[in-house]
Amino acid sequence: MAPLSGIPGSGLAKGLAVTLRTMTKRSVTAQYPDALPELPPRSRGVIALFEENCTVCMLCARECPDWCIYIDSHKETAPPAAPGGRERSRNVLDRFAIDFALCMYCGICIEVCPFDALFWSPEFEYAESDILDLTHERDKLRDWMWTVPAPPALDPAAEEPKEIAAARKAADKAAAAAAAAAATAEPGQGEQAEQGEQSDRSDRSDDQGKGDA
Amino acid sequence: MNLSAAAHPGFLSPTGVEITFVLIGLATLGAALLTVTTRQLVHAALWLVVALGGLAVEYLLLTAEFIAWVQVLIYVGSVVVLLLFGLMLTKAPIGRSADADSENRLVALGVAAAAAAALVWVVVDAFRTTWINLHGAVQGSSRATGESLFRHWVLPFEALSVLLLAALVGAIVLSRRDTGSPADTATPADTATPADTADVPAPAAGKEHT
Amino acid sequence: MNDTLDVVLRLIAVLVVFLVLPLLVGQTEHKVMAHMQGRLGPMYAGGFHGWAQLVADGVKFAQKEDIVPADADRRVFQLAPAVALLPYLLVLIAIPVGPDGFVGQTVDAGLIFVLAVMGVGVLGSLMAGWASANKFSLLGGLRTAAQLMAYELPMLLTAASVAMAAGTLSLPGIVDGYHWWWTPWQLVGGVVFFTAGLAELQRPPFDMPVADSEIIFGAYTEYTGLRFALFLLAEYAGIVVLCALTTVLFLGGWHGPWSGSAGWLWTLVKTALLAFVVIWLRVSYPRLREDQLQKLAWTVLIPLSLAQIALTGVVKVVIS
Repeated sequence: MAPLSGIPGSGLAKGLAVTLRTMTKRSVTAQYPDALPELPPRSRGVIALFEENCTVCMLCARECPDWCIYIDSHKETAPPAAPGGRERSRNVLDRFAIDFALCMYCGICIEVCPFDALFWSPEFEYAESDILDLTHERDKLRDWMWTVPAPPALDPAAEEPKEIAAARKAADKAAAAAAAAAATAEPGQGEQAEQGEQSDRSDRSDDQGKGDA
Repeated sequence: MNLSAAAHPGFLSPTGVEITFVLIGLATLGAALLTVTTRQLVHAALWLVVALGGLAVEYLLLTAEFIAWVQVLIYVGSVVVLLLFGLMLTKAPIGRSADADSENRLVALGVAAAAAAALVWVVVDAFRTTWINLHGAVQGSSRATGESLFRHWVLPFEALSVLLLAALVGAIVLSRRDTGSPADTATPADTATPADTADVPAPAAGKEHT
Repeated sequence: MNDTLDVVLRLIAVLVVFLVLPLLVGQTEHKVMAHMQGRLGPMYAGGFHGWAQLVADGVKFAQKEDIVPADADRRVFQLAPAVALLPYLLVLIAIPVGPDGFVGQTVDAGLIFVLAVMGVGVLGSLMAGWASANKFSLLGGLRTAAQLMAYELPMLLTAASVAMAAGTLSLPGIVDGYHWWWTPWQLVGGVVFFTAGLAELQRPPFDMPVADSEIIFGAYTEYTGLRFALFLLAEYAGIVVLCALTTVLFLGGWHGPWSGSAGWLWTLVKTALLAFVVIWLRVSYPRLREDQLQKLAWTVLIPLSLAQIALTGVVKVVIS
């Protein structure tokens, strides 16, 4: 019956040896309620909302394959920046809810968000006894934002993130321009203009930095 | 057996063992009657267990321990299991079976009564008033049984085994399918049988016939 | 009076052993099986490593409703668990634990007694299988019967071989006559006896009659609550009895260093080791198919046990 490779019954002995060896090893079972698991960043637990970044562009709600994201908003107008200018209008978020009874954790909303307002949180203990309670509102989603860990470090030889690369490029350019200006400029002449230019550039790079955050 | 004929205490002063013996005998008889009269097939087999178990207890009371346990081992443990196996194969229904009764019940009664009468007469005539001394040395121990079996009764013992062997061989021959030319005899019904009979070992199937 | 007290004490001791050892084996099975599969097993009941898991299970079983199917044969159905369980209690009475009468009750033909009564236990499964009015139960009952008939024979033959070697049918007598070289002499017989015993208990890898993945739980499919628990208890009591019996017949029972004072401990240790092997086999091997089961019994175990009897006879004649 047993395949007669070598001594008959060696296969049977091998089976016994495997189980015995496993018994002497430490079990890898994590005792969950007592010991919480350490989940890596981007674990698909729940979707957290960084509502400060949300511009109510509705991309997430539209891309969601099972339509589980509910967004309400209204428009506010702000006075014009300069007198006589046009009034500025801006979307204000009223409601942002995700129905986790429908959500299938595909993560498309997170991929598609152009303003980095949605994140994966490793939080997973959000079971409810009523299916209706699985629709979580924006305050809950905002709270989950605190549980989002920092993204993992890049691989040693990886490409720089685009945002940082762009910022660095701008800073390098500014530095080069400043150096060139310093080299060519005569003392006393054109100082005013140069300072103005510098401050302008640093403002711009600051803006870009905020966008990255 | 080593039976002391002298100084029996008489019928009118029964001891506890004797009373137990009679009571268990009655219970065994009752179970045996139920075995043949019940209309529920499996119940008949189970009542047979009770009857055979009662017999084993009777042997025990007569200090024939070895015989008692062999009785349990062979009859309760194997023969009844075989019987139940056969009954399950026939899909014995739960509840009464209408055809569990036989037309020959009178004839059967006559045969049973004749057999019982013959046996009782033989036993009574053979032993008459001999009494087993229950308080002395054990007369039914394995050693005593073995010695009497293989010293005094070895010929009937061997004859019986030859008889059983013949029955076994006959059963195998009867239950064997003809494997000489499978191509000629293979019909749809035949090809379906191997799967059905594969579970039943040939000697076990043979025993059913014995 | 003293005799009565003695008998009562012995019976109580046997009852306690009967109630405690199967639970110990069950708990060991939980833990050993878990660790062999890289798990932890029960960890909560009782606080320390789930030691009270089976107690909790018992409480749970006691709370469950006792259901008898409408079409079942009520009395047979209800009687079956007791028929399955009680024989093992009876068998424990006859198994010697230590020297000098450390046994529930000395039985003259103890070996035959033990095997006979163990065979009766299987009747419980048959009754359950038939009375449940369930096709899976009936299949389980059929398989139980077929398996019992196939494996009872090698078990008896190998036990007979030991009885021949010892020249007695009494279990304490067999252990008394034990010498260390009996174990290698009867090695084949021991292996056959243990294997056939496993099959008779329907333990994996011989658990075709209860194969839960194809016939639910065989004869026990319709049972709930305490009656089901009794069947489970019977299985574990069966393990204890089989291991103790193998110890007594083939491993020399209480023989070992300091057997004078700690003989009973030797019996228990050997029994526990065998019980561990039973669990180990369950974890390691897949279930045998029904035809493989029958083939193993009739073409391997029975010839082996006949060979063992021949060997025993030859050696016995040579040394006497």
